[in-house]
Amino acid sequence: MAVRVHHEPQLKDSAMLCGWPGIGNIGINAVDSLRQALRAKEFAEIEPWDFFDPRKVIIEEGLLKDLEFPTNRFYFQRVAGKDLIFFIGQEQPTEGRNRYAEGKKAYRMANMVLDVAEKLNCRRVYTSGAGVAQIHHTARPRVWAVPNTPSLIGQIRQYRNTVLMSDIEGAKSHGVITGLNGLLLGVAAKRGFEAVCLMGEIPYYLQAAPWPWPKGSKSVIEVLAAILGLKIDVSQLDALAARIEQTIETFLDNLYRAEAIPPQVKEEIEKLRHTEPAAPGPITEEEQKRIMEHIDELFHEGGWKGDRNF
Amino acid sequence: MSFSMKEAGKVTETFSFSEQPELENPSLIVGWKHDAGGLSRQVIGHLNRAISAKCFCELDPVRFFSLSGVTIEKNVARFPEGKFYCGKRNDLVTFESNEPELERYEFLNALADLARDHLSIKELYTIGGTVSAIAHTGSRELLAVFNQPQLQQRLAGRGLEDLSWEGSPAISSYLLWVAAGRGIPAVSLWPQVPFYLAVSEDFEAAKVTLSFLDETFELGLDFGGLDDRIKDQNQKISRIREEDPDVEKYISMLESELSLAPEERIELTEKVAAALEQQV
Repeated sequence: MAVRVHHEPQLKDSAMLCGWPGIGNIGINAVDSLRQALRAKEFAEIEPWDFFDPRKVIIEEGLLKDLEFPTNRFYFQRVAGKDLIFFIGQEQPTEGRNRYAEGKKAYRMANMVLDVAEKLNCRRVYTSGAGVAQIHHTARPRVWAVPNTPSLIGQIRQYRNTVLMSDIEGAKSHGVITGLNGLLLGVAAKRGFEAVCLMGEIPYYLQAAPWPWPKGSKSVIEVLAAILGLKIDVSQLDALAARIEQTIETFLDNLYRAEAIPPQVKEEIEKLRHTEPAAPGPITEEEQKRIMEHIDELFHEGGWKGDRNF
Repeated sequence: MSFSMKEAGKVTETFSFSEQPELENPSLIVGWKHDAGGLSRQVIGHLNRAISAKCFCELDPVRFFSLSGVTIEKNVARFPEGKFYCGKRNDLVTFESNEPELERYEFLNALADLARDHLSIKELYTIGGTVSAIAHTGSRELLAVFNQPQLQQRLAGRGLEDLSWEGSPAISSYLLWVAAGRGIPAVSLWPQVPFYLAVSEDFEAAKVTLSFLDETFELGLDFGGLDDRIKDQNQKISRIREEDPDVEKYISMLESELSLAPEERIELTEKVAAALEQQV
């Protein structure tokens, strides 16, 4: 279990941005889009085999050519005098059958990421994920920000389109950040790093959807760009967001027409369309539960799947 | 800059020997429980009986399985296990195991370390049935994947079909990859199993695999009992075909190399499995 360094950059007072897959892939898409826009270069990776099973085998004419494992790579770039480190993990390490990181492996990975941060004189770490919210898919998602020290709350209050947990109706300044996006905050605090998790909002009825949620990623990028003083072109994300929004409209329309979900569920979703995100939730928890039961079922319906593998 | 934390593959923590057999660069044959058509159970069982094999080394399952209880199979509680066997042939060792649920990399490294450092194996064979859209009345191809071309060349002309594939890896391919890292020549044998026998037993696929191993290791295996079971199973399926026109239709389509719709595949599998279960 090791970090393989291809080239050690000399950085000072750097910031690290970390992204892992999660709901709507909001966090990883935000951080990776930023990495691509800034053309950050890979300099290190965490060896995957102790953390992950291989994803793919390549066999050609009877010969095993390779196994492909999820990658966990570090990149860096200097922009306007600022040193930025990016960490992109293609999967979260788990010890059971859960989707999100937990247990010793997750703790080890969090420490390995922070080992690199420490070595490269980084004192501020950003993670990113999804904030599951009572919003409509046509609304502009806000960004929920959770710092790992109270001293950052003042700074966060100045970020645009950003809310603290105490600003979210019903949250009462409490909540849970599952997986490495949350765990890293805790481990960072333990090791003396400042860290903030930025979570782009996603409509709760889409949290199990098979599509990414680029609108949430875009909101996160806008906040990160403002914090870091960067100008980022998000037109690609805008185009993807428009396509996905259209897909959702069509999907819901088909469901309504086929009467695959009850009319009251339709009404409850449509209630959200004209509601400001900051306003108290327009539907009750009971209604939210009813919507989730129907939508999740539909997202998880699948055909016969062969179990052939080699 | 490097942050090594530990070496994988701790053999002594993973396996315990009850005795130290005298082996001479044996070949190791690995089978995984619950594979398609119950292939590994049949093949390893047949081999072990043929060489009067006994268990000499066992896996400690604690790090590799959730152990949140036991499974019940055919009315009996089953606990995950992995056992090495050897018998009157000092050039052959078999290993039958549940697939690890956790720490697969550590498990496979420990297995490969034991094979190389404690058993001094010459080469490694894995076996496993592969679910195929074929009829049970046709022949079974024996597909093969090698981790080095030398072994592939040596076994050329023995009826193995070279496989090409990109997709989700089976544990046998993972083991081949780990073995390659230690310079252990290895091959995975994948006999085709008709999909509707995957949850039952496919004796014909077992025979195809055993025939290859019989020839490779000059074992002189007796196939009499296995032939009887093949004949018996074929008769049972013939009866189902006579009694159920849908089963007849679906199997006839497969015999004509026509494909079935997903729901037809499920229906055929359920009907054949239920009928074979009833007739046991």
